[in-house]
Amino acid sequence: MAEIDVRDIRHVYEKGTENETVAIKRVNLTLEDGTANALLGPSGCGKTTLLQIISGLLTPTDGQILIDGEDVTDQSPAERDVAQVFQFPVIYDSMSVYGNLAFPLRNSGVPEDEIRDRVHYVADLLDLEDILQDSPAGLGPEMNQLIALGRGIIREETSAILFDEPMTDVEPYRKLTIRRRVKEAQREFGITALYVTHDQHEALTFADKVAIMDVGELVQYDTGQNLYENPTNTFIGHFIGSPGMNLFDCGVGESNGVPYAELGGHSITVAEKLHSRIDPSWTDCQLGIRPNSVEVAFEEPADTSEYVPASVNQVELHSGFQIATAVLEGSDVEVKARVAHDDPVDDGDFVWLKFPGEDVRLFHKQESLEAA
Amino acid sequence: MKQRPWLFLAPALILVSISAFIPLITVMNYSQLSLLPGSAPYFIGLENFQAILRDPAFTGALARQFLFSILVLITEIPLGLGLALCMPNEGVGVGVSLVLLGIPLLIPWNVVGIIWRVFTRSDIGVVPEVFSWMGMNYNISQFTADAWWTVLVMDIWHWTPLVILICFAGIQAIPQEYYMAAKIDRASPWKTFRYVTLPNLRGVLIIAVLLRLMDSFKIYAEPFVLTGGGPGSSTTFLSTYTSRMAIGGFQMGRGAATSLIYMFVVILLSFVIYIIMLNLGQGAGEE
Repeated sequence: MAEIDVRDIRHVYEKGTENETVAIKRVNLTLEDGTANALLGPSGCGKTTLLQIISGLLTPTDGQILIDGEDVTDQSPAERDVAQVFQFPVIYDSMSVYGNLAFPLRNSGVPEDEIRDRVHYVADLLDLEDILQDSPAGLGPEMNQLIALGRGIIREETSAILFDEPMTDVEPYRKLTIRRRVKEAQREFGITALYVTHDQHEALTFADKVAIMDVGELVQYDTGQNLYENPTNTFIGHFIGSPGMNLFDCGVGESNGVPYAELGGHSITVAEKLHSRIDPSWTDCQLGIRPNSVEVAFEEPADTSEYVPASVNQVELHSGFQIATAVLEGSDVEVKARVAHDDPVDDGDFVWLKFPGEDVRLFHKQESLEAA
Repeated sequence: MKQRPWLFLAPALILVSISAFIPLITVMNYSQLSLLPGSAPYFIGLENFQAILRDPAFTGALARQFLFSILVLITEIPLGLGLALCMPNEGVGVGVSLVLLGIPLLIPWNVVGIIWRVFTRSDIGVVPEVFSWMGMNYNISQFTADAWWTVLVMDIWHWTPLVILICFAGIQAIPQEYYMAAKIDRASPWKTFRYVTLPNLRGVLIIAVLLRLMDSFKIYAEPFVLTGGGPGSSTTFLSTYTSRMAIGGFQMGRGAATSLIYMFVVILLSFVIYIIMLNLGQGAGEE
C-alpha cells in the first residue's frame, strides 16, 4: 500500500557515447495509494524504461522516486517492496507452481507454515488451487503469467505491482479472464498498480486513470473518459479511440465578433466557452471531432446552414457500426463519421455532415484550448 | 506421390548406410567369425565375446575407461560452467576470450599428444623440471600416478574450452527478465544460480556432458602418443585395447566383438545419463 511519486525523472541510455539515447525527457507523476493505473503509449516511447526505474531495476539519470514520501531512488527492488510482472511469463520451471509462489517468501525467511497459508490464499484468489503441485512447464503462457502475478502479490509487504505488457503472450480470448483476475487481486490487496501497455483497450479496462506517454514525455494523466472527450493535445486525440479523433488543420476567423473555425472553405461553429480563448490571428490551428460526434444526414436537411455537403469515398464495416469516410465539398478534407450498421451509405453517396459545436475540439499548436 | 518423402531422404539414407549401417553389419558379422591370418574364416558363434569378457586386459581397460570418463566429467563440466560464468559478456574481452578458448580445440589430437609429450619428457620437459624444483620425482614412463594425472590434465586442457563455449552460448541465451525477476523475488546469488541459470542451462549441459562422455570414451590419439598406454597397461583405454586386438594382434573377430561391446556401453551410458539429467533437480522446493 503506497503512494508512488515520480519526480523529474530523466533517463539517458549510454550517456556520453555516440549511441546516447534520451529515453525519458522529464516525467512527473503521482500514483495514489491503492489505485489501478495504466501507462499507455506507442512502442519505444519510454514506458518500460519508466517502469523499470520505478521498480528499481534501472537507476535514473536524474530525478527521484518516492514511495510514501521516502526517497527510494538508490534502493534495490527488494528494498522497495515493489513487484513486477514481465512481458513474457517468468517462471522457475524446476519448481512446482507451489514452489514458484513460495519462492519470494522463502527468500525473505518466512516460516513454512505461514508460507503455506499465504500460498493457498493467493492460489485461491487466482484460481490456481488445482494446479499447485503441477510443474508450470506445460501450463501455457496465460497460466504462467498468473503464477508470475501470484509471485508478485505473495508478499504481504508488497506495496506496488508493475506490469510490463503482461498480455503479449496470452491468447486474445483468454485476456479478459486473466485481466479480471489481475484486477480482482489488485482490489483485494489494495495494491497500487501500474500497467504498461500499448493497447488502449487494455489500459482503459484495467485502470482508474491512464498516463499517456509519447517520445519520452508524459502527455496526459487522466481518467479514460476525460482522455476520450477532452484530449489535451492532438496526439492523444488521435491515439485514443478506434478510429481516433478526426483532426484537421483549420483556420480561425471572426464574424460579427463571434469566432468560428474554417475548414475546407466551410465555417464551423465552436462552443461558446471557447470564444474568449480564440485569437482570430492564429495560424497553426487544428480542429478535432470524434467520428461518433459527426452527425450524418443522408437526405438534404431542411435547414442546410449548419451542414456541410460531402461525398462518401469509403465505408468500413466494424462490429455493430460502420465508419464512413467522406470528402468535404470543394476541399480535400476527409472526415470519418460513425454511422449505424444498417444505415444506407455507400461509396460515391452524397451526404450532409454536421459538426455539433459542443463536440468540436480546437487545438492551437497541437495543444487543446480547453487545457490552456 | 507417396514416394516423395523417400526421394528427399534417399541421399541421407545412402550416406548413413555407407558410413554406419554397412560397417556395423560387417562388424557384427566379423564378431562371430574366427578371422586369423593364414586360415579360412569360420563361424564360431559367441566365442569371441566370451573370450573378451574373460580377458583381464579387457576388463582392466573397461574399468580404467569408466574411471577416466567419470574424472573427466566431474572436472570439465563444473570447471567449464564456472569459467563460462566468469567470462566477460560484452566489449573486446568477449572476442579475445573466444579466440583463446578456441586454440586448444583447433589443434589435432595427435599434436596435442606430442606437445604434452615434449612437456613431460624427462630430459628436456618443463613438467619434470618444475617437480624437481619442488623436490619431487616425476616420471611419466615409470609412475602410474604420474601417467594418469598427466593424461587427465591434458584432456582437461584440451576439452574444457569446448564446455566453456557451449555453456557461454547457453548463458547468453537466458533472457535478462529471469534475472530481473529473481532480483525482485529477493533471490540470493546462489538461489539465482540454482533456480535461474542451472535450469535454463539444462539443455546445453546435457549436450556438453554427452559430448564429453562419448569423446572421452573414444580417447585414443593423445594417450597413444603421450604414454603409449603405459607404464605397463596403466593408461590403456578401451580404444587402445580394441585397436591392439584387431590390428596389432591380428584378431579381427575379437576386435569386432570388442567394438560391439564398446558401442553398447557408450550408448547405454549416454542414455542413462541423458535420462538422469533430464529429471535432475526437478520439483525442488516443495510444500
